[in-house]
Amino acid sequence: MSSATWRNFFTYNKYAQITARAVRQSLKESERVVAEKRGTTALKYQRWENGVGGPQVFLNPEEDKKVGKSAAV
Amino acid sequence: MSALRLLSSAARRAPSTLTQQRRGYAEVADKISLSLVLPHQAIFTSKDVVQVNVAAATGDMGILANHVPSIEALRPGMIEVIESGNASKKWFASGGFATVHPGNKLTINVIEAAPLESFSSEAVRANLQEALKVAAGNGSEEDKMEARIEADVYEALQHALGSK
Repeated sequence: MSSATWRNFFTYNKYAQITARAVRQSLKESERVVAEKRGTTALKYQRWENGVGGPQVFLNPEEDKKVGKSAAV
Repeated sequence: MSALRLLSSAARRAPSTLTQQRRGYAEVADKISLSLVLPHQAIFTSKDVVQVNVAAATGDMGILANHVPSIEALRPGMIEVIESGNASKKWFASGGFATVHPGNKLTINVIEAAPLESFSSEAVRANLQEALKVAAGNGSEEDKMEARIEADVYEALQHALGSK
């Protein structure tokens, strides 16, 4: 945390994700593939009104569709 | 008369039955119970170890048995675990927290960690160059800060890999 000024821009969570991503990208090829999967996040949401659900929407439309369903590790 | 003298001198010469004390490296009696966990994997679960060296944000520290309870944020850096004797294992962790609980327990939570052998120096070097380029470029302040953080991680990694 030498450049502690990141506090002006990010939350700690975001900071931790950035460092984790940096570590994953530095692994050897064989391990990196498995590790990259751990870093992907996708969000789908649905708005409910008067007991009726609206359409389910991806937060990041194109990227999230690529992430398939997998068994929770 | 002479027989008595002979007997006493013989007794003095006979080796005492005191066992010879063997001098070796002292085996540490007290160990600390370490749990080193990642979200996807538990490297250690309540394992008794002699010493753990971590890179805390406030400086490098070594944690031994009966450490005072404390919470330390970790910078991206090495975690070294000495289980017994001189054997030590090292991991590079992306950051997290080390918590010493009362009752001689140490919990280290990090997001990503891997043994030093799992890293590729080539990838680290290339990533570092890329990150420094972005950090010195003319993107948004946020992008440059992100690149600066990544560059710090890569530099720490290079240092860890270089001084294996």
